[in-house]
Amino acid sequence: MKEFLQTALLGPLQALGKQVLAVLPNVLAMTIILVAGLVIAWAMGHLVERLLRVIGLDHLCNRLGVNAALARGGVKTDPSRLAGRAAYWMVLLFAAMAGLGALNLKPINQFAQSFLAYVPYLFTAGLILVGGYLLSNFVSQTVLIAAVNAGLPPARLLAACSRWGVQLVAVAMALEQLGIAQHIVVVGFGITLGGVVMAGAIAFGLGAKDLAKDYLERRLSQSPRDRAPDDLRHL
Amino acid sequence: MMTDTTIALTPETDARIQEIGETEILVGIPSFNNADTIGHVVRAVKAGLAKYFSGVRAVLVNSDGSSTDGTPDVVARTVVDLGDMLISERQSPLHKIITPYHGIPGKGSAFRTIFEIARRLKAKACAVVDSDLRSITPEWIELLIRPVLGEGYDYVAPYYLRHKYDGTITNNIVYPLTRAMYGQRVRQPIGGDFGFSGRLAEHYLDKHVWESDVARFGIDIWMTTEAIASGARVCESFLGAKIHNPKDPGTDLAAMLVQVMGAMFALMEEHEGVWAKLNGSNPVKRFGFQYEVGVEPVHVNVDGMICSFRQGLADLEPIWREMLAAETVEELQALKDCPLQAFRLGDDLWARLVYEATAACHRRVMPREHLLKAFTPLYLGRTASFVLDTQGLTSSEADGRIEALCQAFEKRKPYLMERWETGSE
Repeated sequence: MKEFLQTALLGPLQALGKQVLAVLPNVLAMTIILVAGLVIAWAMGHLVERLLRVIGLDHLCNRLGVNAALARGGVKTDPSRLAGRAAYWMVLLFAAMAGLGALNLKPINQFAQSFLAYVPYLFTAGLILVGGYLLSNFVSQTVLIAAVNAGLPPARLLAACSRWGVQLVAVAMALEQLGIAQHIVVVGFGITLGGVVMAGAIAFGLGAKDLAKDYLERRLSQSPRDRAPDDLRHL
Repeated sequence: MMTDTTIALTPETDARIQEIGETEILVGIPSFNNADTIGHVVRAVKAGLAKYFSGVRAVLVNSDGSSTDGTPDVVARTVVDLGDMLISERQSPLHKIITPYHGIPGKGSAFRTIFEIARRLKAKACAVVDSDLRSITPEWIELLIRPVLGEGYDYVAPYYLRHKYDGTITNNIVYPLTRAMYGQRVRQPIGGDFGFSGRLAEHYLDKHVWESDVARFGIDIWMTTEAIASGARVCESFLGAKIHNPKDPGTDLAAMLVQVMGAMFALMEEHEGVWAKLNGSNPVKRFGFQYEVGVEPVHVNVDGMICSFRQGLADLEPIWREMLAAETVEELQALKDCPLQAFRLGDDLWARLVYEATAACHRRVMPREHLLKAFTPLYLGRTASFVLDTQGLTSSEADGRIEALCQAFEKRKPYLMERWETGSE
């Protein structure tokens, strides 16, 4: 009975205890790395923000219209603070990876390695999304103003279409960068764009054939009657 | 102070300058595919110089933008029979320099070459006239040159007779804003034909603006503003009616506003130290014998302009809210449904709109081109209001309305300062 207890109960418990004791330093190391990473991330974020403020990044961005672009995109934070927060999260991310690596567990190590290899793609995809968002706002505003000045009644619709078009392209590019359903994204995007163009062509051809005729006549014939609604000379 | 702003000329032009040496008067004609009209302009210039400046050394410079229709050849072979014009005095020979200009294509770059030649020839008085003018007479040359050569002025702006609806950007924006900012009542700051001293030509050359939009367009307002802001003596000359080849009818109004207002706003940034301390305005001396003449009637589509304004109100409101004060947008909203005949965008509201756009441009609340193009429906609304307001008035009575608008701009200048400084914080 004593032997049974020794082999069936205490043996596994002892083995578990040994395993725990073997992992404990790694857990401790992970905790230390995480805490240190947290402190360094905070300090780094703070330092980057202060440094950028001192060198006048906000003022420069303001002069270049970046602040206005961010505000239009719904981002109310100034660029120095944004850069500081980005530095904070980057350091924290790497600290978390390093901390998990300290556990020295094979699956976690593999995950960490895969994740680190994936980071550049994530970064690129993020940049594409942010750039696409800002570009879509700019394009949409350009289209809206041009359409209003051209006297086109569906100006807002055109602006919204251009905004979503650019954002769709950005999302497709980001997904392709991340390697998510690459073929589906490309094919889906092609089908969508083709469909939109086809729908537009049919709608314009059937629904607005008089408008198209009028437009082409004005463009091709250049008759004086149609060229200008008045003969104001503005300058 | 010497600055290295000399520009390269072609070897032929250099040789011609060496040959001529020095001159008293220089008349420049910028051109690009103006073979149909430039002959008349050259004849008028030659006759003007012969009639009013006989015995004075003079040079005619054609600064051409690589015309493909033989414009320089027309300039080279144009001759004038002075006997037909009863001009019989012994003349000094008129030298001609026909040169291509370098740099960004545009009137500004053509002028730069003319200024450079004026500097090298040590010209005392210069004039520039457009190459598409049909109404230029020899008297124009006297009126543009004499104030500089005989009266000691540095800059002569043109004063043309125009229909009350001709030049609505000039009447509603350029003149009131220039007058309120720089305190000089130059009625047509972007006329296109100017006289100036050799000293002022050198000042222009020393400015580093030739790679900017000034080189393409905006040269007219730049020359006028720079002359006033630099403290040059400025006057006007009455030239009668200006008739020239119609510009391309497809010219986009929004692009035109971007050019003119963009140039004015950029100049305001540069000369803040000058205009910020000025109050009120003073008339400038006007030379020439003024007379009335029938001007071409102008047909105006008021309905179309009000439609454009109202579409702007419906679709561009979020953009307007970024650049204008909230109360101003509310005032504009009141014009949404008012009857056509009651549609008025008054002087005070218009002055505030222009000032708010100016300050918004200074604060860079959005890309400058977007801001200026989004201003187009507002401008059309104001133009429609001006037309409705001045229907049935004579040109001089309509000028009275422009005077009232200018006073509104001057009165509201502190409002601009307030918004401008808010943006600088």
